[in-house]
Amino acid sequence: MDTIFAIASIKEREATVTPSPAVHTIELRKEYRGTEALRGLSMTVARGEVFGFLGPNGAGKTTAVKLLLGLVRPSGGEAMVLGAPAGDRETRRRIGYLPELFRFQAWLTAVEVLLLHCRLIGLSRVRTEREIDAALHTVGLAERRDDKVGTFSKGMQQRLGLGVALLGEPELVILDEPTSALDPVGRHDVRAIIRAVRDRGATVFLNTHLLEEAEHVCDRVTVIDRGRSIATGALADLLGATSSVRLKVSGLRDCWWKGFDEFGYFVQEGGWLVAAHIEPRRIPELVTAIVNLGGKIEAVVPEHQSLEDRFLELLGKL
Amino acid sequence: MNSIGTIALLTLREAVRRRIVAACAAITIGLVCLSAWGFDRLSHNAGITSGEVNAAIPQALILFMFMFSFVVALSASAMAAPAVSAEVESGVLLSVLARPIRRSEVLVGKWLGLATVIFAYSAIVSGLEVGVVDWVSGFVPPNPIVVGLYLFAEGAILLTLTLLLSTRLSAIATGVVAIALFGAAWLAGVVGSLGTTFKISSLKTIGEVARYILPTDGLSRGAIYYLEPQSFVTQRLAESQSGGGGNPFFALAPPTWAYLIWVCVWFLAILSAGLVSFERREL
Repeated sequence: MDTIFAIASIKEREATVTPSPAVHTIELRKEYRGTEALRGLSMTVARGEVFGFLGPNGAGKTTAVKLLLGLVRPSGGEAMVLGAPAGDRETRRRIGYLPELFRFQAWLTAVEVLLLHCRLIGLSRVRTEREIDAALHTVGLAERRDDKVGTFSKGMQQRLGLGVALLGEPELVILDEPTSALDPVGRHDVRAIIRAVRDRGATVFLNTHLLEEAEHVCDRVTVIDRGRSIATGALADLLGATSSVRLKVSGLRDCWWKGFDEFGYFVQEGGWLVAAHIEPRRIPELVTAIVNLGGKIEAVVPEHQSLEDRFLELLGKL
Repeated sequence: MNSIGTIALLTLREAVRRRIVAACAAITIGLVCLSAWGFDRLSHNAGITSGEVNAAIPQALILFMFMFSFVVALSASAMAAPAVSAEVESGVLLSVLARPIRRSEVLVGKWLGLATVIFAYSAIVSGLEVGVVDWVSGFVPPNPIVVGLYLFAEGAILLTLTLLLSTRLSAIATGVVAIALFGAAWLAGVVGSLGTTFKISSLKTIGEVARYILPTDGLSRGAIYYLEPQSFVTQRLAESQSGGGGNPFFALAPPTWAYLIWVCVWFLAILSAGLVSFERREL
């Protein structure tokens, strides 16, 4: 009997210690006056990961984010955020959010905007000062702290928005197109910030249509199209399904690859031969076959399909 | 500080930073100075008897206070019209409402901030105008504090209605509708007075119903009543049994307690409707 109780106690402890997913949705739907913006979105975002939420414009990404924050009401399905129903007021204290299309009060200074959000979160006075300084420093606006937001460029407003989203060390940071107005330096900075957020154990939900962004920072992605998830997984898995390899081969007659169709599709690109749609496990076999044919291998460069190609393939555009 | 206080202070700060307060102060000081000059001319004109002066000054004061009530109403509409709709459209509210704050707290905070501006304006403008008239002519209305309160109540009623409209309509549409309704209510008051004068019951009913649908005119009459000296009211009553003869700048009696209770009910109902409407609004 004691053993049974002990096991039950461990299970209870595990249940309380194991954190719920950062985001969990089941068949989440949203309909706007007869138009379905989201048609049964199911996904799980684990704690501590950088999750890319990808999709073309109008796919329903921003609608999904607004549902997670309770800014719009779902037409059906369920959504849990940090273990609580989406939109739960107290849970929002632990979420940082950078909206896609937003503006701050133009007549406030950068510090005043941050101060307002610290007050809304309910941070103590001492912590408020520390958080504001840290946020301004992180997003590179320390020197513009007392300037009115109305004088800021779109990129600077986006930086400030990112600073606001980081206030109070949130457990979940939802970034909706965080780099749409940023220059390459700004984008680089945002990637560094996202990695830093992940390093302190928080979850980042990155909503973007910029695939390069996702490729650089995301651990896992979901691709949605027309309100439905069409692929989910680790980037490597998503991209590893098909790949190509670049070869530099000498010592063989022209068009020697004609008999190698079983490995994939071959294309000559300058001095390189690209074997497309080749299964990664067959690359050594291909190299051996070339050597057996008397070819001299000068270079073998395996190439994953770019996320963009994979993305287009998933959307049926390639 | 709680969330309502934070939003109220933010709204107050916006009114100051956007120079709404400065613009209102500048135009009010100009108008008060102009009225001082006018009252001075009226009081010290050799061609007018003291009796005529005594009759003219309260009427002129009522006219000026009506103009200020118009400024209060316009300011309330202009400030409240973009308070929700413009912030929803621009995305300002997205980041605010993603915080642990209720939508009702945002709306009540905005109402409090704007109502504070209107209260301050009503108090200052009433005090200034009554003070100037007293200084120039020696006339003090029977109850200037109540006049200021009615002025504020009129502005607060329109502010509440405008905030409700702002939760659904665009800023421009909200402003246009609110001002049009204010004007219609005032006109209905005039029509009602004409109905009373000429004993046309349908017109009289229009005026009475309008006072209940939008109480701005009813409250405006309250302010007018407390600007009139008792002798003025008695004389008018003796002159005409018709109840004001269609004059929108005259009131024979103050609003009844029943009417004031109705105004409170109206205010709570419209504020509640605004809260429900904002709660249901998709962002």
